[in-house]
Amino acid sequence: MSSIAAGRDRAGRRDRLGTAGAASAGLDTRRMLQLGLAAIWLLDGVLQYQSFMFTKAFGQMIGATSSGNPGVVAHPINWNATLVEHHLVLLNAIFATIQILLGLGIAWRPTVRVALAASVVWSLGVWWFGEGLGGVLNGTADPVSGAPGAVIIYALLAVLLWPADRGVVSGRPVPFVAARAVGAQVARALWLVLWGTLAYFALTPANRAPQALHDMIAGMAPGEPGWLAALDKHSAALVAHQGLAASIVLAVALVIVAVGVYLPPPAAQATLILAIVLAAVIWVVGEALGTILTGGATDPNSGPLLALLALAYWPLATAAVPHAGRSPAGDRPEGITA
Amino acid sequence: MSIPGWILDIFAAIMLLVAAVSAGQLAVARAWTRAGVRDADIAGSHLLMGIAMAGTLVASLSTLPNAAWEVIFAVMTAWFAWCLWRETRGHGIAAVASGHHAPHLVHSAAMLYMFAALAGPAPGGGSGMAGMAGSAGGTQSLHAPTLALVFTLLLIAYTVRDLDRKAGADGYFHVVGRRFTSAGPALATAAAGVHGVPAGPAGGGDSAVATMVQPQAAPAEVPPGDGAAAGQAEARPPMADWLLLSPAVVKGCRVAMGVTMAFMLVIMT
Repeated sequence: MSSIAAGRDRAGRRDRLGTAGAASAGLDTRRMLQLGLAAIWLLDGVLQYQSFMFTKAFGQMIGATSSGNPGVVAHPINWNATLVEHHLVLLNAIFATIQILLGLGIAWRPTVRVALAASVVWSLGVWWFGEGLGGVLNGTADPVSGAPGAVIIYALLAVLLWPADRGVVSGRPVPFVAARAVGAQVARALWLVLWGTLAYFALTPANRAPQALHDMIAGMAPGEPGWLAALDKHSAALVAHQGLAASIVLAVALVIVAVGVYLPPPAAQATLILAIVLAAVIWVVGEALGTILTGGATDPNSGPLLALLALAYWPLATAAVPHAGRSPAGDRPEGITA
Repeated sequence: MSIPGWILDIFAAIMLLVAAVSAGQLAVARAWTRAGVRDADIAGSHLLMGIAMAGTLVASLSTLPNAAWEVIFAVMTAWFAWCLWRETRGHGIAAVASGHHAPHLVHSAAMLYMFAALAGPAPGGGSGMAGMAGSAGGTQSLHAPTLALVFTLLLIAYTVRDLDRKAGADGYFHVVGRRFTSAGPALATAAAGVHGVPAGPAGGGDSAVATMVQPQAAPAEVPPGDGAAAGQAEARPPMADWLLLSPAVVKGCRVAMGVTMAFMLVIMT
């Protein structure tokens, strides 16, 4: 065989493999969820370029998150807020660009691992220095308004969607996508902690006060388009003076979701649907679409991330088995039909 | 304070680069003088969008009045809607999600919306949007901001999808300037053993200018300039062709355009 023919043959084989890989990737749930995460990062980065972020209000917004936090947490936040206020344009442009690059990096297969790893580091930094740990330590965390901080859910998703199969043990099927990277037990524990924490926050004194939920939802309406403002006002009216009852109902729903991943697949699916519905209600009503339409949102908030997380726990209808070799994105199919 | 001018300058420069690359693609493909050049409409749309967006971002780069751009993008939207409709006849409704023309329809419609939905008159007397350095502070914003959000989400979805797809491997990123020509015996001979398999220099990778080699009965797609030497399947294209017409460059232009358009919609909301 001539070298030209051999080269062509190699190219043909390579392409056949590549094409097959692309076809498989089209069906790979984990890759689709990675792309969902990439899209949210990209939106996050674009939002960071809004004109509001180039005003002193952005630095003040960061500084305000230190309030009520222990000194060891608050001091670095204040330092960061001062730094941002002094170098506002440069730092905010860098923040926005980093977030866009994280989104593009996750979406581009050759850089998916680097981008996911970087996103974990970035998320943890922003959670502390930019969001004051989501209000977890100062009693202001509210699941309806985005607790425990959208950015920490980015990190959690990056870990659970990491392109590895450490969770696959001796060819046994993985029950859901999130189990592939860390194993089913760890993934379930992380889910339980997150949603259990949300249930706890729903019942804190600040959130179960008679008008707490009403005031929070009604406060989202100003500046929103008419249809969203009207939706917020009507929703707020529904829970007026019903803070305790609403908090208990919400907490019960969140607990059901938290334990749902330990139930058999049909029941787990029902609780995951409940999780997605809750995420949608929280995003639309409680978070007003992350206030994206008012020009002051730094991110789309927790609703879309909670829904994406729920999809990562959706029971797989097929048995997942490990394969030899892998692509950078870990884009092998979950398994074969059982 | 509005968005710093140098940030808008950078995005405008990227758009001008995309426009220049698109013009180069059309020139290399000799789209004006040859019939049947594939994707000339897409390269042309990128050229116009790049110029329009640069003018929107930076006042001094503004070229045409808003009304002219509205007409241009209305025609472009209608054209890509027609192309997508034809695609759905062949591939079903899946073409809307993953078809060749769907992203370009979204891009064109987003541009049309952007020019049509400006809330206030352009301070430059109607010549473009006269730049955003002043408008992003709030003096100009878009009507129906919910629609802006919808377009932003669509643009971002197509951008991550574009990035994920392997350029040249599944025919998604067509090489601008390819045209159909009858496959001669020499081509059929060259194709022996690799029938139906793209046999470009890099096997369809991101840097490839893939040549779809088909059995003799089927029409074959060849890169521009190769029509006279269809049998020379191994011939490397000139550097300009390789640079401008590679799927990776086409992909890069589309990603840059999607991100910039989403950026503009968000800061004008």
